[in-house]
Amino acid sequence: MPFPDVKLANRPLHFLYLCDCSGSMAASGKMQALNQAIRQSLPGMAAVARDNPEARVLVRAVRFADHAAWHIETPTPVDQLEWRDLQAGGITAMGEALKLVAAALQTPPMEVRALPPVLVLISDGQPTDDFAAGLEALLRVPWAQKAVRLAIALGHDADLEVLQRFIGSEPATAGRSPRRPLQASNATSLAQYIQWASTAVVGAASMPASRVSETPLEPAAGNIPLPDLPPTVLDPTDDVGPLVW
Amino acid sequence: MNWILPEGASLGFEGLAAPLQIIRGLGGGTQGQVYEVDLQGERLALKWYLPACIARDGGLERRLEASIRATAPNEDFLWPIALLRASPASRPLIRLRQESFGYLMPLRPPAYVGACEHAAGRLAIGLRQVLRACFGLADAFHALHLAGLCYKDVSLGNLFLEPGSGGILICDNDNVAVDGADHGAVLGTPGFMAPEVLLGQARPGADSDLFSLAVLLFRLLTRHDPLKGQMELAIRCLDEPARRRLCGEDPVFIFDPLDDRNRPDPIEHAAALITWPIYPRPLQALFEQTFCRGMKQPSRRALTGQWKQELARTLDRRALCPACGQENFQASGAPALCWSCGAPLPEPITLLLARGAVLAAPDNELHPHHFDALAGEDLRRPLARVVAHPQDHRRLGLRNLSSAAWSAETHDGRVQPVQPGESCSLAALARIQSPSGPIAVQRPTRPSPAA
Repeated sequence: MPFPDVKLANRPLHFLYLCDCSGSMAASGKMQALNQAIRQSLPGMAAVARDNPEARVLVRAVRFADHAAWHIETPTPVDQLEWRDLQAGGITAMGEALKLVAAALQTPPMEVRALPPVLVLISDGQPTDDFAAGLEALLRVPWAQKAVRLAIALGHDADLEVLQRFIGSEPATAGRSPRRPLQASNATSLAQYIQWASTAVVGAASMPASRVSETPLEPAAGNIPLPDLPPTVLDPTDDVGPLVW
Repeated sequence: MNWILPEGASLGFEGLAAPLQIIRGLGGGTQGQVYEVDLQGERLALKWYLPACIARDGGLERRLEASIRATAPNEDFLWPIALLRASPASRPLIRLRQESFGYLMPLRPPAYVGACEHAAGRLAIGLRQVLRACFGLADAFHALHLAGLCYKDVSLGNLFLEPGSGGILICDNDNVAVDGADHGAVLGTPGFMAPEVLLGQARPGADSDLFSLAVLLFRLLTRHDPLKGQMELAIRCLDEPARRRLCGEDPVFIFDPLDDRNRPDPIEHAAALITWPIYPRPLQALFEQTFCRGMKQPSRRALTGQWKQELARTLDRRALCPACGQENFQASGAPALCWSCGAPLPEPITLLLARGAVLAAPDNELHPHHFDALAGEDLRRPLARVVAHPQDHRRLGLRNLSSAAWSAETHDGRVQPVQPGESCSLAALARIQSPSGPIAVQRPTRPSPAA
């Protein structure tokens, strides 16, 4: 006879992409690279969601250029997600994008009980609107304060200082850290960071991962211990990404 | 996935006479990546570590070497077979700048699926199989602890189940160490970690394994978490500080008889409320022992041997509801109602043995430990199995799974041999003499005195 038809109670985990679609993203195939990176990351993200029965992973996306708008407005279960290509063109209304996300993280529409949301901001340039006002609006919302906030800088023209302000205070230790903007200088590293954010970070935020003694048990930086960044895997010579920015 | 080892390539390793062919990548995480490999026609699994993981865990190589020398406690572990470092010729093919290593282990057969599939309710599995899996888990930890070792990082993520049989496999055995030898870096997985380890007051060891084992058994048996009740519902954002409070600073078992602050919510935690009453009182008592007094006193937690004994007894008590067919595990004697449909359960035929009693329900088995006081509970080599008659499912028989003939005695004193592989009808029998010992058949209406 079958086991009783019961399931582990779960909580929603909201995952939001904030994608820069300004005109400069059209250069050197950056827009296509981002579309590809997100599309390629979805099967891995769905697998992590399956393995974490305590979480219901729901994805949304905001695009910003002359204005900010929802690219995926309905929180969508990752296994039902179809990524439509983003198009580049316009300026960089990043502040407006943050205000849009701030409104979405209010309760309601946010559930009363959830896992920490994950916000991933991807940009290749400077905000052209009032970024500070947008950030202030975002960080007034309790769910945004609790959120895991990550930033990916595309190419060398991204405003690292702005991205760092989105993430929060810079870590004291030197070196690569998920609490600094991740600098993607080519399509391969962009794909790695997107994959890392959509799998390892989603895993850490939804079901606690195995802990080693080095991980501070008293959480100092943020309310979710972030997993290691992807290792620098050497590109095999026949597999160099088509783009160098 | 960016695979560190090139798929399809043949790589040489120090100490391996033949090259290893990398068949395909199976998965990867923050520790490393796992590959299916071929060694001279034999399919094995290879875990390859990331340099960051090796750097963080100074004792890793020494622990692995000790485990490889010690060999697996029993066959339910995907135990390390050999530690591998790339040969100088193969070194440039590995896509890492820093030196790294890995280990070979048996490949998990495809029928075994991750235990989280059961937790998520996506696995077609019966209560008998879940209880057998729980027994297998307790048995594996029993063997591990008896060998003086501890596992340190029990969670749903390193357990695999075979839903048809309830067989288990335990992977990620690279944290196993001698209990008390403080070599490892791993602390455990929050939610499965003992409170004293989560709070940093103790290092993981055999006592904290007992806590984690009980959490895993509870999650398999109820599809719910032992600490998630009203107190979890009061938390809006379930992040690290909240988990630390819930599982470390003020952990309260949802069925604590003396502390009702964390009772399950009828809607949010329905799984716990439906499944908990299925299990007999002595099994529930072991959870209470571990999660109430044992919560703060590690030495009071239920031991692996206690779990084995009670889980085996629960399986012995398995009876099928005549109305709905669902499996029931109530203590004998008391008039009972089916947990699923509420129909009264009739007193079934009972097989009385030197060491215990087994209810006659299809698939229930007799094992050496039912006869021999010195044999530990073990479900691997059944001596007999209750079977339904192929034409009339209500008629039950007992199949001889041993290698020697039995002699079956009817009520009127006739004696008939039952050869290995044959079954005898329980309706007609008073007792069976087997080389392991006598089996008395007790009927509910007119209980006959035990032979």
